[in-house]
Amino acid sequence: MSAIPFPGVRASEHSVIRMLGSQEALLALAIIGVAILVGLDNARFLATRNLSDILLGNAYVAVAAIGMSMIIISGNIDISVGSLIGVMATISGSLAVAGAPIVVAWGLPLIVGVLVMALQGAIVAYLRIPSIVVTLGMLSILKGGLISVTGGKWITDLPESFHLADIELFGILPMPVLLMTVATALAAIWMRYSARGRSIYATGGNPEAARLCGISPQRTVVMVFAIHGFFAGVAALLFATQLKVIQSTVPPNLELTVITAAVVGGVSILGGVGTVVGSTLAAVLIAEIASALVFINVSPYWIHAVQGAMILATVVADILRRRRRLAGALTR
Amino acid sequence: MTILAQSEASKVPLWLKRHETLLAAILVVALAILGLLNERFLTLDNLLNQGRFLTEVGLIALPMTFVIITGGIDLSVGSIVGLCAIMLGYSWKAFGFPLPLAIAFAVGVGALAGFVNGLLITRVRVPPLIMTIATLALYRGLAEGVSQAHSVRNYPEWFFSMGQGQWLGVPTQLLLLLVGVVVAGVALDRTTFGRALYVIGNNETAARFSGLPVDAIKLVVYTLSGLMAGLSAWVLVSRVTTTRSDMGIGYELDVIAAVVLGGTSIFGGSGTIWGTVVGLVMIQLLKNGLALTGVKGDATIIVIGAVLIASTLIASSLQARREGG
Amino acid sequence: MKLRLLTTVMTGIFGLSLAAGAAKAADKWDGADDLPTSPLACDASPAAAPSPKPYDGGQPTGAADKSGKPITVVDVPKLIGIGYFNATSKGMQDAAKELGNVKITTDGPTEAKIDEQIKFIDNYITRGVDGVLFAANDPVAIAPVLKKALSKGIHVVGYDANSTPDAREWFVNQAQFNGIGKALIDSMAKEIGEDKGFAIVTSTFTTPNQARWIAEMQAYAAKCHPKMKWLETVEAQEDNVLSFNQATTLINKYGDKLSGLFGMTSVATPASAEAVTKANLCSKVAVVGLATPNAMKPYVTKDCVKSVVLWNPVDLGYAATYVMRAVVDGKLKAGGTSVDAGKLGKLNVVNGSEILLGSPFIFTKANVKDFDF
Repeated sequence: MSAIPFPGVRASEHSVIRMLGSQEALLALAIIGVAILVGLDNARFLATRNLSDILLGNAYVAVAAIGMSMIIISGNIDISVGSLIGVMATISGSLAVAGAPIVVAWGLPLIVGVLVMALQGAIVAYLRIPSIVVTLGMLSILKGGLISVTGGKWITDLPESFHLADIELFGILPMPVLLMTVATALAAIWMRYSARGRSIYATGGNPEAARLCGISPQRTVVMVFAIHGFFAGVAALLFATQLKVIQSTVPPNLELTVITAAVVGGVSILGGVGTVVGSTLAAVLIAEIASALVFINVSPYWIHAVQGAMILATVVADILRRRRRLAGALTR
Repeated sequence: MTILAQSEASKVPLWLKRHETLLAAILVVALAILGLLNERFLTLDNLLNQGRFLTEVGLIALPMTFVIITGGIDLSVGSIVGLCAIMLGYSWKAFGFPLPLAIAFAVGVGALAGFVNGLLITRVRVPPLIMTIATLALYRGLAEGVSQAHSVRNYPEWFFSMGQGQWLGVPTQLLLLLVGVVVAGVALDRTTFGRALYVIGNNETAARFSGLPVDAIKLVVYTLSGLMAGLSAWVLVSRVTTTRSDMGIGYELDVIAAVVLGGTSIFGGSGTIWGTVVGLVMIQLLKNGLALTGVKGDATIIVIGAVLIASTLIASSLQARREGG
Repeated sequence: MKLRLLTTVMTGIFGLSLAAGAAKAADKWDGADDLPTSPLACDASPAAAPSPKPYDGGQPTGAADKSGKPITVVDVPKLIGIGYFNATSKGMQDAAKELGNVKITTDGPTEAKIDEQIKFIDNYITRGVDGVLFAANDPVAIAPVLKKALSKGIHVVGYDANSTPDAREWFVNQAQFNGIGKALIDSMAKEIGEDKGFAIVTSTFTTPNQARWIAEMQAYAAKCHPKMKWLETVEAQEDNVLSFNQATTLINKYGDKLSGLFGMTSVATPASAEAVTKANLCSKVAVVGLATPNAMKPYVTKDCVKSVVLWNPVDLGYAATYVMRAVVDGKLKAGGTSVDAGKLGKLNVVNGSEILLGSPFIFTKANVKDFDF
């Protein structure tokens, strides 16, 4: 299966030795490095409670980043995901409060997410509208629609059984971390070893060549958007079920955070390169740094600047590392 | 600039089928409808007032057109506005610069911010989307760090003439924008620089091989983007009489919407300043017209989003037909 | 080779950031824009009545005489979509129904951005309304557009978050800044004791009201509870998941040193309460702050939060509407000393052009179920 390299997927990505110098490895090292450095300054950072809180509170970003990575790998972008998550969270909460069975309260938003995203994918693929335009328009439509319908009212009085994020499977595995890990693993395996999964890389890297290989770029794009909608839905559930109220507004800057996680994770905006493992690790690192900066008493005024500087440094490092590997000059 | 074969016995003149013309037609129709629904909409007073409000986004939309034509994008403009606004106030108050110098300094900071974007995009080859997402965060953070949550207020009266004054009945900043539109339009349409932008957007490798200083040109457009963001910050501070580190949040999306609505292809290689102006005016007047008709804020955003998608749809289907599918 | 250089540079940046950050640790955020604070007396004695200030509000020019006639009013809060402004809006609708001749629409930006708010108000000026009610995202930035409204004969009354005095006729103040500071700190001191540590979760450092409250809290705590330790203030926008994560980080960072959390917005308080609940620290970490009762019900009924100290936002909106009606009817003129506010009775004028709502309202386990907003 891996004998025939797909267009856009470099054979070197498969070699284990190469992986050690990969973005994923660097991110893993960074996660450990930050933990140690901050732990030296304030040992409480390394407490299990804290580390698990970081993961639990931010797992939803990682899950959303899985779908976003696929979108970016396929050569597109989606800035409507934040608004969509807000909408799905509200739908979920409203259903639960209205007394619908929990399965419906959890399941319907997923269906909505898939459909809305698939629609956007179809517009992008078949009507040839650039994804940034479609998703920009959809962002406004969803944001305005959410406020219109809810009038800004918060959803309170959620039933106890609603809180998916609080469930611990077998008493020890918290749902958010479990879902994040399982989703990442499944997505990673699927993207590497299944033809459909690899076709995403192909579509992103070189759509014409992909078409010649029998892959339909249009269908791939719609599929990618649909999958992204599903993961966004799962993220929305984790997001909505963490607290006892659901704000019926769009979480600010969520799409930017998710895109940053994907980008820092090594997903290339040029399409065709990157893994979901990278984006998950990046999401974890970003959450870890946010907490770390508070722990080590970075002046609250400078927190965002430090975060921005780190994102820039990571991105530049990734590009430089990539350039070393490429044979010829990049043309873009 | 493309030379199209005249072989089709087309009865409709070419310029009529252009995206910009159609958009302008849609705009006129929309204005007429809104004007009928609300008598206060099509008054000179209101229109000039709207011109005042659209200037900040408009100033940035001019270089953004250039950037997108070259196939790039700049998402950090909103943060640059915030940073420049803060630097304007900070350099005046903390460094003690005389106010005109502070203004120049702020615009200079904007140009520098844009320059840094351009530098890393051309030298390190960071894709523009990623680079400007990173600087979006960084520049905003710098604005917050420098300002330390303090606002700078109590400017002298003359300072407000840019944002709140008028000249010959026209709001001052609108005049500034008009000058910018003319300069940008001429530059894009009539100079080698402008033509080079299209070439770079259409086929960068070919552009390089034909000896165009691609990197230098890109550096210029990103610097311009930052510089205009700085100018926009000056107008904004002058209009609202204070500085805040959260100024300009969301501008990048407004700017891109105007540019894309105006017919500039996000893939690069085509677009005009005239189109951007129409797109800009359309969005502003739609928002205003809908509000005057009694449509509330949330519904207005929905309409804008739908209009964006719909008009790009119309434009691209017309483009497809013109190029023979 | 370049990779090594890059890695070194990155580590350098990271190290520098840590160093810079640690060096800046002394910079604890202490509140507002260099405005003076005036902490109240430490005991329960009421604040000395300040000498009455002359009226310092603005006045509309050429306002139509609509005394007794129906008026249309627009309410432009800081943002729509949070419980607090849903509550003020509800209060306004209640008052409008009682008065019978006031039509109020609430419309505003979906994010707390001053520029958006200005555009909303400007559009309504063009549309032609009789009155504007506002809660400002920035007191200075909003002044030009409000003055424009006044110049067009539109009545302007503020609530919750003030503008510069000359840009509006009256401002309905829920409580004085120093009164809120005292109420919050006293509540916390009562719950956790005199020598314990607390932290604050706020929206942003540039939100004017929150900034002033925190400044007053600091001044009052330094004066009357000097042994209480102020650990830290963090920002969490108006997002409850972010507030939750920030509160959790604070709890983990300080451990036993943290005995209390202040929530400065209706978003931050329930999120902080949830963080404390999730950490199983309900009886060990107190949560005090501003919130709407519905969001706090799960915590107050479980005794995790003892009391939610603040005012009744529904009453605030209600009062603002009555003030607007009184202004239009000519019953409240410049220099007036009180206004009749329906079921709230007579409200007094303080500070020249502010109308005081009254004393803070406290939601507790006993009464939280009686409210639905």
